[in-house]
Amino acid sequence: MNGLTAVRSLTTLPVVTLGGDAVAHVKDTVFDPSAERIASFTLTGRTLLSGPLPQDLPWPAVHCLGHHAVMVRDEGALFDLPLSVARRDAVRGRLLGAQVLTEDGDPVGTVLDVLVEGTSGRLVAFRLAAQRELVHGSRHRRHRVYVPRGEALSVTGRTLVIPAHATTYVTDDLPRFVERVGARHDRGRGVAP
Amino acid sequence: MLFSRVRGLPVLTPGDADRLGVVRALTVDAASGEVTHVRIGRGRLRREAVVAWGALRAVGPDMLIVRSLGGPGEVPPRRDLLGSRVLTECGEERGTVLDAAFDPVTARIEAVLTTLGELPADRLLGLGDHALVIRTGHVRHRV
Repeated sequence: MNGLTAVRSLTTLPVVTLGGDAVAHVKDTVFDPSAERIASFTLTGRTLLSGPLPQDLPWPAVHCLGHHAVMVRDEGALFDLPLSVARRDAVRGRLLGAQVLTEDGDPVGTVLDVLVEGTSGRLVAFRLAAQRELVHGSRHRRHRVYVPRGEALSVTGRTLVIPAHATTYVTDDLPRFVERVGARHDRGRGVAP
Repeated sequence: MLFSRVRGLPVLTPGDADRLGVVRALTVDAASGEVTHVRIGRGRLRREAVVAWGALRAVGPDMLIVRSLGGPGEVPPRRDLLGSRVLTECGEERGTVLDAAFDPVTARIEAVLTTLGELPADRLLGLGDHALVIRTGHVRHRV
């Protein structure tokens, strides 16, 4: 997957080996402590009533992240983990619902979803339920706001602090957002428009 | 020869031409791109028999003749190629398998026909309980 993908859409995706067998389903996406990239996935069993698995899938073991499946080389990619540890990591590394502030302490909103780069697992942006101070208008419109992660994001517990200038890239339209972030990224690398 | 043509063909034993049953499915090893076993239905109340492709004496358009009914050794798990979903190694769905063509002499799969086009056999990676996994590449779309 070369484009961006929403982390919420990864939940319930099957984990499939290159041999074609489904070995688990994705339960939660866990991010690293600096909220820079995906660290791992917690898993559930394949059947409807099967609960969480005492295994997780570390990001380096992922062969490819697709729109219809998370591909792994074989079943050995799953890493045995006590269920309590998996749950603790999932709670610590879950960004959904986290509060977002600017460096000046202004509340921006809460995280509804996270956009990641499919190839690298790098966190690119947040989809926020924005505060009225950030985006004016109806509540529905404010629920579809995208904010880039920025290089200078810091994480304090369940609170994310983004640089103040990141809010200048706020948009409620995903294609336009991808265009803007892409242009900014290219400028940073010295690519001519 | 097409998989869909083989399904339902009678399987006979060579000496007395006893009818062993009819072909239910062909088992394939997607990684090597070969048909490995034939699954033979023997009626409602009897378990299906599994015969290695190498144990066939002749494969005709109207019947299959088995050389010997020795044990098939390790019986592979049942995986039907026809009707299975196609997934690229990057986790993108590419339709479902409609049919497959293979050479009855060498048992090599020549091409797989999907709802989105034809796949060359060298792109097959594995066939499991969830999907047929293929190498990422372009599908030759049917005109």
